[in-house]
Amino acid sequence: MRTAFFQAIELVFSGNRQLINIIQVTMRMSLSSSLVALLLGVPLGALLGTISWKGKGILVIINRTLMGLPPVVCGLICYLLFSGVGPLRHLGLLFTVEGMIIAQVILLTPLIIGNMESHVSDISPAIRETAKGLRLSTAKTVLLLMNESQYQIFASYLLGLGRSLAEVGAVSMVGGAIAFKTNVMSTAIMNYTNMGNFTIALALGIILLVIALVLNIITALIQWRLRR
Amino acid sequence: MKKFMILLLALAMSTFIFTGCGDSNRNTSQTEDSASDETADAAEEEPAADAESEESEAAEEESAAVDLSILYEEDDSMINNYSLLAVNPDAPFVDANGESVSDVAINTAGAKALTDWMLSEEAKTAAADFGFEEYGEHLFYVIEDGPSSEAEIPVATDETKNIRMSTTTSVNDSGLLTYLIPMFEEAYGYTVEIFSAGTGKAIANAEFGNADLIMVHSESQEKEFVDAGFSMVLDGYESERLTFLYNYFVLCGPSSDPAEVASAPSVLDAFKLIADGKYPFVSRGDESGTHTMEVSLWPEDLGITTDAASVEDYTDWYVFSNAGMGTCLTMAEEKGAYILSDKATFLTFKENNGVME
Amino acid sequence: MKTCSFTKTYGSHTVLQAPAMELSPGRIYAVIGANGSGKSTLVKILSGLLASDEKQAPFKEKPLCIGHLPQKPYAFRLNTLNNVLLGAAKMDTAAAKEKALDLLTKLGIETLASKSAQRLSGGETARMALARSMMQDYDLFILDEPTASLDVQSTILAENQILSYRKETGAAILLITHSLKQARRLADEVWYLQNGQIIETGTSEQVLYSPADARTRQFLEFYSL
Repeated sequence: MRTAFFQAIELVFSGNRQLINIIQVTMRMSLSSSLVALLLGVPLGALLGTISWKGKGILVIINRTLMGLPPVVCGLICYLLFSGVGPLRHLGLLFTVEGMIIAQVILLTPLIIGNMESHVSDISPAIRETAKGLRLSTAKTVLLLMNESQYQIFASYLLGLGRSLAEVGAVSMVGGAIAFKTNVMSTAIMNYTNMGNFTIALALGIILLVIALVLNIITALIQWRLRR
Repeated sequence: MKKFMILLLALAMSTFIFTGCGDSNRNTSQTEDSASDETADAAEEEPAADAESEESEAAEEESAAVDLSILYEEDDSMINNYSLLAVNPDAPFVDANGESVSDVAINTAGAKALTDWMLSEEAKTAAADFGFEEYGEHLFYVIEDGPSSEAEIPVATDETKNIRMSTTTSVNDSGLLTYLIPMFEEAYGYTVEIFSAGTGKAIANAEFGNADLIMVHSESQEKEFVDAGFSMVLDGYESERLTFLYNYFVLCGPSSDPAEVASAPSVLDAFKLIADGKYPFVSRGDESGTHTMEVSLWPEDLGITTDAASVEDYTDWYVFSNAGMGTCLTMAEEKGAYILSDKATFLTFKENNGVME
Repeated sequence: MKTCSFTKTYGSHTVLQAPAMELSPGRIYAVIGANGSGKSTLVKILSGLLASDEKQAPFKEKPLCIGHLPQKPYAFRLNTLNNVLLGAAKMDTAAAKEKALDLLTKLGIETLASKSAQRLSGGETARMALARSMMQDYDLFILDEPTASLDVQSTILAENQILSYRKETGAAILLITHSLKQARRLADEVWYLQNGQIIETGTSEQVLYSPADARTRQFLEFYSL
């Protein structure tokens, strides 16, 4: 393990072009997919949290099931869709970063919806009662709700980002781990492990953890400033 | 409220800044090598007992080396042939529901360009030279009367630029493509995307229309591919299967060789010795070219096939691993087991002391 | 303002049975009764927060501008002044700000204007919410125990403000309270609720001092008036 740690440091400073590309692709993919998932998941989750009709329970169950979708299954479905023989082949998404982002958005959005839904369900009744009593418009009520959920939204983003960095099943199927194009940290680690080169795999893993740590620190600082 | 909006915007912007860079930075692809040679990796190897002469220089540098050694080689029944097959754009592609699909995009021009180049004098010489300096041995041999090309290779155009090649992990792990392909890309301006997986998955990938040509080394599966209509004969060649390189499989095992296979008269006898003595053996178990070759070498009465069920009774000594070559070699090293490997991958493995590049 | 009669049932339990009632503008109605007697349910149906079993609008005339200050008002993640400004509807910003500060001052919490509203004490939150509700002019203003968490001084300030509001806007005011003294101080009419039924209504003198119904009398026994 110690050698893996030292190798990690050497790798970082070696300016290895492949490593730089892997990190760039990883960052581009993860930041994009978690952001898109956030933009989709926050409104949907908040909406789900505010409704109280009978249908809500069923929708929540459906969302929870989607949360448990195995990444490799999602990757397989996307692969079949984007494949040269698949119905979406003309979009040219197979073995591209965009395809990987789409697959990850499918995996991450239910998580964010679930997060927001449970939070909003908690605060929604009280907010609605007060807002209605003040004759506030629906639009205004929604804005206030979003304002109340700032902390939760950031937490959801972090959740999405973390999962996105660690995820390997879907991105390896849809991206194909093509060198200098769709190879990300997690697929590179998997490839080296499969080759038997455990030391480099561990070294890359350490680098990945450090990147995740830095991102978490930045977001925590932002959260701290928003202070609950 | 405003603070929050600003921060969200900043986050979005930083994403798009990252979006700008990243893609086309590929000149010569350096593999992550230098690091591993310098640090002594004591975790996974056993101390070298009696290393063969070519391994002694490795043993001097490090305090520990790999014990796995080549015990049997150069038997003609262990020849491993590599072929290029171009994918036929009019092949009977079917989608996941089994319905046929007609307008599948295949870059035949690109496949031809790459094929022409790989079968040219220049490329063949390079392939034959690959690894000679480092390992003191040829990893690949050029088939003497194999298909060759002197055709002029067109420069890449926007339409033909992207060539998708599906190949096996064995080929990829040997490092041959990482060595050859950049020469082709730089000279003619193409971009070759290499998808590597186990043979079965690599071929399936092509059958799904995701590759323009494949490079595999499993005769039976290649013939199935051709018979099903997925390959085509390129201009200037006579066959769909362009078999142009070969190397040998080698039977490896612990240097102490408890089954005494080194002195067996033929490789089939060697395998019989292992089976009779129930010495530990690691099998690829993934229907790859190596796996297919391996199951053909066992005595028939054992009934070993590529199917996992066929080896149910032998699990005390036969490991059906379903993994890539490098992983299996590592496993064999740890267990002191026998294993069939292609020579190139084994040499790479041994040279780097159990650490693949 | 006339209402229809309505009921509210949860499962097999009828929580409320209300007859048709009438509310006059400019009058203060106090709603009294034990916990769980259905007071909050009644006003929530009147303000539109809950639907009655009949699924009909409770008031015959529409549209009616109804304001409702709930029992546990929500303090939004803004400072106190901005919270109060939320109630400002379509007012001009400068005028709104002036009115808000005026209300805060009259309730004794103007020093808390820039403090985060979620950090206020119970009594301060209640006064903030009261100021917030009073930014608009309603036809019917419903207050659910607005002074429950206030000390004597603050209660006096709040009650004065309620009376000012009535004077300035001429709204009908429906006040749920546990304090019979407050009812006596402020109300023109009193409604007594027990087990979801309106047992007695009348002027505050009538209901509080000479209740017609025995049940009302029993309820009042616990309070020395």
